[in-house]
Amino acid sequence: MNNVNDRSRNIGPFIPESDDDMIICRCEEISKGEVRKAVHDGMYTVTEIRRYLRCGMGLCQGQTCSKTVKRLVAKECGVSMDTIEPATSRAPMRPVAMMVLGNEIGGE
Amino acid sequence: MKRYDLIIVGAGPSGLSAAIEAAKHGLTVVVFDENHKPGGQLFKQIHKFFGSKEHMAKIRGFNIGEELLKEASAVGVNVKLNATVTGMYGNKEIVVQTENCVEHFKADSIIIATGAAENVVTFDGWTLPGVMGAGAAQTMMNLHGIKPGKRVLMLGSGNVGLVVSFQLLQAGCDVVALVDAAPKIGGYGVHASKIARCGVPFYLSHTILKAEGEKFVTGVVIGEVDDKFNVIKGTEKHFDVDTICLAVGLSPMSQLLKMAGCEMEDNAQKGGQVPIVNEYGETSVEGIFAVGDVSGIEEASSAMIEGRMAGVCAAEYLGYCNKDEMVKRHTKLEDDLESLREGMFAPKNKGKNIELTEEGIPVSKSLLKKGYISEDEVESFPGVTHKKGLHPVIECTQNIPCNPCQDACKFNCIHIGEKLTSLPVVNEKSDCTGCGMCVAACSGQAIFLVNEEYDEENATVTLPYEFLPLPKKLEKGVALDRSGNVVCEAEVVDIRSTKVFDKTNLLTIKVPKNMAMSARFYKNLDTQV
Amino acid sequence: MSENRIAEHPILGIPEKGKKIKFTFDGKEVEGYEGEPVAEALKAAGLMVHRYTKKHHEPRGVFCAIGRCTDCVMVVDGLPNTRTCITPLQEGMTVQTQYGVSTKPE
Repeated sequence: MNNVNDRSRNIGPFIPESDDDMIICRCEEISKGEVRKAVHDGMYTVTEIRRYLRCGMGLCQGQTCSKTVKRLVAKECGVSMDTIEPATSRAPMRPVAMMVLGNEIGGE
Repeated sequence: MKRYDLIIVGAGPSGLSAAIEAAKHGLTVVVFDENHKPGGQLFKQIHKFFGSKEHMAKIRGFNIGEELLKEASAVGVNVKLNATVTGMYGNKEIVVQTENCVEHFKADSIIIATGAAENVVTFDGWTLPGVMGAGAAQTMMNLHGIKPGKRVLMLGSGNVGLVVSFQLLQAGCDVVALVDAAPKIGGYGVHASKIARCGVPFYLSHTILKAEGEKFVTGVVIGEVDDKFNVIKGTEKHFDVDTICLAVGLSPMSQLLKMAGCEMEDNAQKGGQVPIVNEYGETSVEGIFAVGDVSGIEEASSAMIEGRMAGVCAAEYLGYCNKDEMVKRHTKLEDDLESLREGMFAPKNKGKNIELTEEGIPVSKSLLKKGYISEDEVESFPGVTHKKGLHPVIECTQNIPCNPCQDACKFNCIHIGEKLTSLPVVNEKSDCTGCGMCVAACSGQAIFLVNEEYDEENATVTLPYEFLPLPKKLEKGVALDRSGNVVCEAEVVDIRSTKVFDKTNLLTIKVPKNMAMSARFYKNLDTQV
Repeated sequence: MSENRIAEHPILGIPEKGKKIKFTFDGKEVEGYEGEPVAEALKAAGLMVHRYTKKHHEPRGVFCAIGRCTDCVMVVDGLPNTRTCITPLQEGMTVQTQYGVSTKPE
């Protein structure tokens, strides 16, 4: 198991920073402080943060903020960015209207 | 479900190149692209490309795009536009979203050429309208003829930041500053010099502290950072701007590959999450290839070669050509690619501090810090010589793989040799006829024709000029030095624009003799801001 | 012509445009060229704010210009969340500022 997922690790308390209200996820309007706090709440992976806060789940599907979120998680956990698993990739990767999604050709 | 031999995702430089190569071998190929027009980012690239003839050097990006499209249609490549691939599965099935339906397709082989997305950087006010990606600015001005703003601050000194800054000037915008948190300029020195001599100031070791404005950007505050990137108090500087452009790198758009189960790695040198590929561009899933920026951020020239490599490999994989044929073609392409991956800016040298050129000459410190070579430094380079009469002065001081200047000179004045990255050497024995082919051919706009003794008091300098309005013969203006400072009055002696120069006009100005090695740009104070 | 449009470009020449047409932005008549992205026509007309966000009611405009970031969405012909940077302009289109996900300020 990669050490990022090691829940027993102590990453210290959440210490507020002056720019905590800065927006990180532009679509869902999630702030830097919220992401940082989520890590201290026990969300050590991008996927967990996504489900917890909805950042990266808006219209753009994380196209814009995923790297920034990853960097924040790594920093709070005190690990390098490349050890953090990116969020799961799944279809659809671009916004799609329900009407279009319902009109499926050649699927199972 | 419709099946193809080969499905390619992305009709940019690498995807189209792959499609052409595969179609030539007889595969039925379809290329899906989410955009209205094919070509990816090539049609926004209006500068001349670097490299050698094999890499289509000195041709402007959008012209290369047009060539690729012609070639693709000639070999029967089917490009489906407004078709967004929203998913891919390991059994080589993809989901394509078109205007009103979602359709599934299968192929025996898939090449992913989805390119990259721009990175962002956060600061106070970064979500305000007026803060945009450098690519967004490029899209507005080069595809749609719209100025992104009147007064722009550029963040990022990599090639994207430098090239887009120059394009903003060409579009008639004012670039008030180029800012980078790094202590030295990341992109090619020649790109930096092009904007420095127009008067754009460089603020290295600086970062944006705040974008100002209620509803949209009206100003920006930057500040200096120390070597740990902490802001130094009291160094804040304010600029009135309406636009802030972010050119802070690209990240591969590799989600489709991850979704299909290809083995991935986080590779900072390649820009982020990339698939692990073999020498042919094939991922851990047999028959799925990744080419271009999605497999590691580079540039269009190398992306096109990678595309061709994967195209021929897919052909061999599906039995449309034999192994020997494939290896032969592959080896040739590999050589072309390797020659592009040499020099100071090669992927393998990323992050390294290079202090000497391959020739052993100290790299200009001023160039890395301020964007221009100092007058004493410039004399140490082999392209800078002095003699009676007209002669080229080549201010090319970093080892980059590029040699159009050598091919341009029919009189053997300019020598680079076999090694593409060598600095051009001016042969003092050859006679320069003043044809100007080298000036127009230099993708970095680093060649000037100088006549140090034009008459008793004056010298002339011929420089590349890509702005409007074009200066007129005999008009008077001012000459600027490499840093963009006005150094003297200047008179336009000649302005040449011919088809072979491909929109690079050759402007000859007359300046006092002692300014021959200083004057590097011209402004008409009446017609330009 | 709008001063935000490039009349002639030193490399690209005179921009190729479709037919000049009219559309409405928040009820006002605006001119643009057929087929160019809605966002570009609005930019030429000097518009910066495309929408106000749902949570904090903050202004947003064009950020990526290629349909990725979805920040430039507006209500186009009644349809909210339309990415204006990749939606071709057509004669008579109705374009409205988006507040949250609707046309009404909250």
